[in-house]
Amino acid sequence: MDADSLELPQGTLDLLILKAVSLGPRHGWAVSERIQDVTRGSLAIPQGSLYPALHRLERRGWIKAHWGASDTNRRAKFYELTRSGRAQLHAEMDLWRKLTVAVDLVLDMT
Amino acid sequence: MLTRILQLVADLRHRARAVVRRAALERELDDELRFHLEHEAEKYERAGLPRVEAERRARVAFGGLERIKEDSREARGVMWAEHVARDLRYAVRTLGRSRGFAAVAIATLALGIGATTAIFSVIDGVLLRPLPFAEPERLVALSYAPPAEPFSPRAAMFDWSYDEYRRGDPLFERTASYSSIFMTMTGSGDPVRLTGAAVTPDFFAVLRAGPQHGRAFLAGDDAPGRDDIVVLGDRVWRTRFGADQRIVGSVMQFDGVRRTVVGVAPPGFDFPHKSELWIPLRITIDPHNTRLMPVIGRLRPGLARDRAEREFAAIAARLPLIPDQKRSELTAELVPLKTMVVGNVQSSLVVFAGAVTLVLAIACSNVANLLLMRAASREREMAVRIALGAGRGRLVRQLLTESALLGLLGGMVGAFLAAWGVRLLLALAPAGTIPRADEVQVDPRALAFALAVSLFTALAFGLVPALYATKRGLRDAIGHGARSIGSRHGALRHVLVVGEIALAIVLLVGAGLLLRSFRELRAVELGFRPEQMLTTSVILSNAKYRNAASMQAFDAKVLGELAALPGVTAAGAVDWRPLSGMLMQGNFVIEGGPALSKGNWADKMLVSPGYFAAMGIRMRRGRSFTAHDDARAPAVVIISQSVASKLSGGADPVGRRIAMADHPEAEDWRTIVGVVDDVVQRDVKSPRDAAIYEHYSQVPQRFWLENMTFVVRASTDPLLLAGGVRAALRHADADLPIGAISTMTDAVASTTGESLFQTRLIGTFSVVALVLAAIAIYGVLAYAATERTHEIGIRLALGAGPGDVVRMILRWATRLIAPGVALGVLGSLAATRLIAQFLFGVTATDPLTFASVAMLLATVALVAAWAPAHRASRVAPAIALRAE
Repeated sequence: MDADSLELPQGTLDLLILKAVSLGPRHGWAVSERIQDVTRGSLAIPQGSLYPALHRLERRGWIKAHWGASDTNRRAKFYELTRSGRAQLHAEMDLWRKLTVAVDLVLDMT
Repeated sequence: MLTRILQLVADLRHRARAVVRRAALERELDDELRFHLEHEAEKYERAGLPRVEAERRARVAFGGLERIKEDSREARGVMWAEHVARDLRYAVRTLGRSRGFAAVAIATLALGIGATTAIFSVIDGVLLRPLPFAEPERLVALSYAPPAEPFSPRAAMFDWSYDEYRRGDPLFERTASYSSIFMTMTGSGDPVRLTGAAVTPDFFAVLRAGPQHGRAFLAGDDAPGRDDIVVLGDRVWRTRFGADQRIVGSVMQFDGVRRTVVGVAPPGFDFPHKSELWIPLRITIDPHNTRLMPVIGRLRPGLARDRAEREFAAIAARLPLIPDQKRSELTAELVPLKTMVVGNVQSSLVVFAGAVTLVLAIACSNVANLLLMRAASREREMAVRIALGAGRGRLVRQLLTESALLGLLGGMVGAFLAAWGVRLLLALAPAGTIPRADEVQVDPRALAFALAVSLFTALAFGLVPALYATKRGLRDAIGHGARSIGSRHGALRHVLVVGEIALAIVLLVGAGLLLRSFRELRAVELGFRPEQMLTTSVILSNAKYRNAASMQAFDAKVLGELAALPGVTAAGAVDWRPLSGMLMQGNFVIEGGPALSKGNWADKMLVSPGYFAAMGIRMRRGRSFTAHDDARAPAVVIISQSVASKLSGGADPVGRRIAMADHPEAEDWRTIVGVVDDVVQRDVKSPRDAAIYEHYSQVPQRFWLENMTFVVRASTDPLLLAGGVRAALRHADADLPIGAISTMTDAVASTTGESLFQTRLIGTFSVVALVLAAIAIYGVLAYAATERTHEIGIRLALGAGPGDVVRMILRWATRLIAPGVALGVLGSLAATRLIAQFLFGVTATDPLTFASVAMLLATVALVAAWAPAHRASRVAPAIALRAE
């Protein structure tokens, strides 16, 4: 990880994961790849830290998991968004947008 | 709201699954993570890296594998139940690996908890729990009497004062008086002697003890002619009459008097003094005599005791005085009935409570010490586990689980000890000294308290080092940590050990003082030789023995048979034997001396001719009684040494005459025929009594002869004679209830029973304290020595001899022992005042006891220090230097 990569604000990892699996079932590695691709590696997320977060979201019922075959035809655990997960994703996205707007307003004060 | 609930349900189901399917989930987690790592490695491989490098990169990008697994487990909600289960399993395993530590810790806790719970259960049952009467706080004993002896709260009123007071009593709903009696019940199986009470008619109403059958006494039941009635106790009713309700209305013989049973007292009611029957008492005022009697009353509702007491004092000040009584010598008091029932056992129990609290404190500080040491020695383990990814919270939780497990195991063993200890306490306590003994049981609150204290200790002292150990950085811990930490907690451990030594000293000094008192008591010169003697008492009922001659005939027959028993060297009789708790005392007048002299006061005993020989009381001058000194012969007496010296100084008093009446007539004069030694008659703590002995055949009044105690001296084991003694009594009177036949040694020992009990109990506590303190000293020094093996190695390598090393470690020991002993001695000076009242022949600050205890403790402590010192001095320098 680069020195100038960004620390992820507390709690936003969940949001990123929800967003990543919202487009269809993915396994953990794919979620990790997806986040890194999209952010072009600018976020400092140790890959491992994804898994506790995935399991936490599963426990909360926002994502559900099933074992399936990966593209390389190996057994992998796929996660997908549940209904309440989708609601949660929208709520959190909403919150995040409001927050960033608010923070921007403050920062842009002249 | 609904979604919340659904979510909660899902969460719980998930957690439950996580617990139930633990193994499967664990496998899945492994699979999932391996899949990720392989995928990642493949990505790098495709980019052209060699396989090994690709795998390494993947691992680096992933982060600490074990840490992530741990976090994932936690995230899937394994946490609570499973962690507890796993921590418990782990704790059991680790404790199993260090069995010595676990055993000592659990045993220590169990001792502390068990002893504390047992003592406090007894205290709760005896002192704290209210009396089993309705609204017991309103029950008091009225007292207007000369101040009682310290620690024997005996509330009483003169019959004259009470009779006057109750005429216009504004303070009480009702009052009653009573006096204890013994009665022989005949006509229903074997004759049986029962303890009972003669009570004024309001007695049951005052205590609100409504009868379970029939009725209690009513006003007017004490009138002559109507008072031939009795209320039976529950136990007698059940054991003798099979709980037959038709008992009410039937007639039975009590001491030969026919009485109608009017009621049965409620179950468990046995006030006063384990009474089993009650008869009516009429208070009659004798113009020539007064007596003190107990009076109890139930305060009017809403009247506080202290206010009632002030008003009672005001009323008492106006009550008429009896002749020769000064008002300034009388105190008016309302004593809570419980205080009177509990009596002087209270101060004894309070001392036990103090002692056992010290034991608990020592036990707890010992466990704290053990835990601190163990934590210090496990610091490296903790550091390594943190380095391997264990979360701090998890480690702390785990250490706490271990502590809690120790605490709980100690508590369980302690609970068993407590149950056993309560029974042991009640069994060991001299009979009758613990009132309300049958109300005592293991008190759950006491157990909970002791358990809470120990759990708290275990958790607190488990937590401190756990937090500290897990706080520091990895390098620090793996590097030189263990040593620095050890000495850091070392200070705390030293304080604990010093405290333990001090507390142990306090207990030991207490035990030492009690032990010396007990020995002094046992060493008291009794004036008679109790070894190889049997004794038993009878009460001759007025119904069967209608005059003195019939009683004397009975005594003579028994004495004749006793003397003829093989193995009996002497047999005698006395109305009240020494240390029986009963006594007749009175004035005597010397012929030719002043009419009445204040100092002429002596015990007055009736004895048979063989009495002095049987008791082993030494004849100093003259002769003993003989069979010829009968009712027709001239009246004779034998006096004890103190009476003799009062009578004639050094001259021979034999042949002079004295009288027992205050204003003797001609026939009252009795000739002195012999002088014997003074004997201890009242109790071993009092000086020996002056006594005047009369021949039982020369006493014409039936009243003085009702009670008779037979004593026989045996040439062999006295208990072999018990059958013969019983047979002799049966032959003389088949209907006579026969009481206990005991050896004189036991009878004497029972008077020092309470002292023995205190000594044993405090002694046991102090030995426990000593052992615990020794363990603590050993532990701290052994640890310090191991910790400084390196330093010792250098010293040895530089030419120090093993002796120097031993001396060095003993010097450390001295630094613990000296302040501990000093503190302990100071503490003892303050604490032993509390037991001063139990001491006999030794002061509370007895220098010999203090010095011996300090020596004893120092010796034990040095012995405990010796083992680690010796071991350290034998270390090979090369090994020591390599040790960290």
